[in-house]
Amino acid sequence: MIRLPKDETKLMVAVHGWSGIVLGLLLYAVVLTGTAAVFAHEIGAWSAGHVETRSAFARPLDGIIRRLSAATPARYREAVNLFEIGDHRLGVYFHRDEMDGGKPIDRGIYYQLDGAGRVAKAVRGTGEEVFGPRNDDALSSFLVDTHVRLHVPNPWGLLLTGILGLAMLVAAISGVLIHRHLFKDIFTLRRNANPVLAERDRHSVAGSWSLPFAFVLAFTGSFFSFFGTVGMPVLAMAAFGGDVKALTETVYGNAATSDPRPVAIGDLDRLVADASRRAGAEPTFVAIENYGRADAAVTTYHPARAGGIEITTLLYDGATGRFVRVKPTIGTRPSAGGTLTGIMAPLHFGNFAGMLSKAVWFALGYAMCYVTLTGLRLWLARRREAMRSLEWLDRSVAIVGFGLPLALVVSAAAFLVAMPLGTAVYWTTTAFLIGSAIAIGAGFLSPSRLMLDRLLQAGTGLVMVLLPPLRLLTGGPNWLVALRATQPEIVAVDIALLVAGGWMTWRVARGRMGSVSLPAAAGRPVASAR
Amino acid sequence: MGRTSGKWIRIFFAGPGAIVVALVVMAGMTRWVPGGAAGIDNLALPLVLAPLIWAALFFHACLDRRLGRVVLVALGLLVVHGALVGWGFLGASRHAVGGAA
Repeated sequence: MIRLPKDETKLMVAVHGWSGIVLGLLLYAVVLTGTAAVFAHEIGAWSAGHVETRSAFARPLDGIIRRLSAATPARYREAVNLFEIGDHRLGVYFHRDEMDGGKPIDRGIYYQLDGAGRVAKAVRGTGEEVFGPRNDDALSSFLVDTHVRLHVPNPWGLLLTGILGLAMLVAAISGVLIHRHLFKDIFTLRRNANPVLAERDRHSVAGSWSLPFAFVLAFTGSFFSFFGTVGMPVLAMAAFGGDVKALTETVYGNAATSDPRPVAIGDLDRLVADASRRAGAEPTFVAIENYGRADAAVTTYHPARAGGIEITTLLYDGATGRFVRVKPTIGTRPSAGGTLTGIMAPLHFGNFAGMLSKAVWFALGYAMCYVTLTGLRLWLARRREAMRSLEWLDRSVAIVGFGLPLALVVSAAAFLVAMPLGTAVYWTTTAFLIGSAIAIGAGFLSPSRLMLDRLLQAGTGLVMVLLPPLRLLTGGPNWLVALRATQPEIVAVDIALLVAGGWMTWRVARGRMGSVSLPAAAGRPVASAR
Repeated sequence: MGRTSGKWIRIFFAGPGAIVVALVVMAGMTRWVPGGAAGIDNLALPLVLAPLIWAALFFHACLDRRLGRVVLVALGLLVVHGALVGWGFLGASRHAVGGAA
């Protein structure tokens, strides 16, 4: 147990509190959307009614790629990326690498195919331009984009979420340092104590149990945010004289001898079938470098094997379709740095052990939201008598804390209505803004903060309960169809929404507001080390 | 040194100072961390460890009672790693000049 002297403990308490207060509301938004985004794939399948079970890579694609290649200008046939979109459809991106003001970019044509392998849509432009949200994935894209960069344009959005990650890292480490009795605190819940003390116990218990998780999330999250925005340019400057492309090639490249002779690509169907057999699952992404050349290389990326954390990556000779070797995600050979970098993604996304790890990550993410919100409320409760002018912050916490879930479920409802009309990209975002405006308006007009809490929670609960019937009314598959198509996630999300929404509405109706709704009159300074 | 100026020096080294030193340490580490089996450990490790380096500098600036030691550690890391980066640049430009000749 770490026992800091009194002055340092006081300083750490201040650091812990202020790291949460200054960035707590933004951090809450990132953690809440990140918690939901753990199930982004399932939410995508639920919202768009996906009933296709066969991977796009389990269907013939060689003929499709050759046909698309013939229709694509030669300048964009330098490289090809293949990946799944929507309901196990195929996305194909023919592109070339370019330099744009010293910054490496890619430019090409992105083909979105339908279920029969025909081109449903073709978009030309740079990678940043063509890979926006689509009509059928607007909801999950919106969630992920909120989590990754809070809809702030890059690089500022990533820098902002990176700073939030560092603030969370500070809060987690200082949280450990200020616990004089960490193991005792983990099990201390004084239900009959005054509301602030009981609330502090709940905050400590939830915070203590999720501390390691908070540390891992903050560490991996700030790594991802700063990776491309700060890390790569700094390393490129230090080790490659500023050449980011050279750094990227060293880290990810396949280090083959250049051979630009024109040679047709090997049989991709046979290659993908072989890769699926070796990796035990169909690929989720296939990258072809030097397409149509003698030195073409095909890299297939597969989900982690059972019991593993890192994804499986296989390298093939593109011209012959011959298997070359198992490739680490980073580097050309297994290494400590490559392994460390490779486990950052599964640790952050919680997708390394299927639904079980995702459920654990979701639960711990929910605990982090609870800790952030109760931390803010406790900080306010302790200062309420001395600082009545903090009423605006108290209301802001309610608006963000309960208004954000309301705006998210309103945007989900709008997506369900707009997707069949082909306007989901516009309406998902617009409905989120409308939901946010309603929450902000309620914040100004509500006679008390407790009433505001009740209104926003009741609204969120009711919309959640309405989402499953709305999904059915707008043409989504019913439970029988979903189960027959082996898509139990559609049923699971429906049940989760009905249970969570019903529980939330019931609690508000019964006057049980939940522990994050400290009554305004309860503000007494807590007589504790903090 | 007064208490107020000492406090501001500490805030400087915990705030912008920690960011600058962490970035320079990350850049400098590419020069002394071994490349490893794949020749990329010197690139991957600094990138992964950067948030932890920043956190270590932040908490050291907050918790070390001896302000002089805070300044010494931060400036020491800055100078050593800055010199390593500068040395690398000089080497690269010498190569370029040699290659051109």
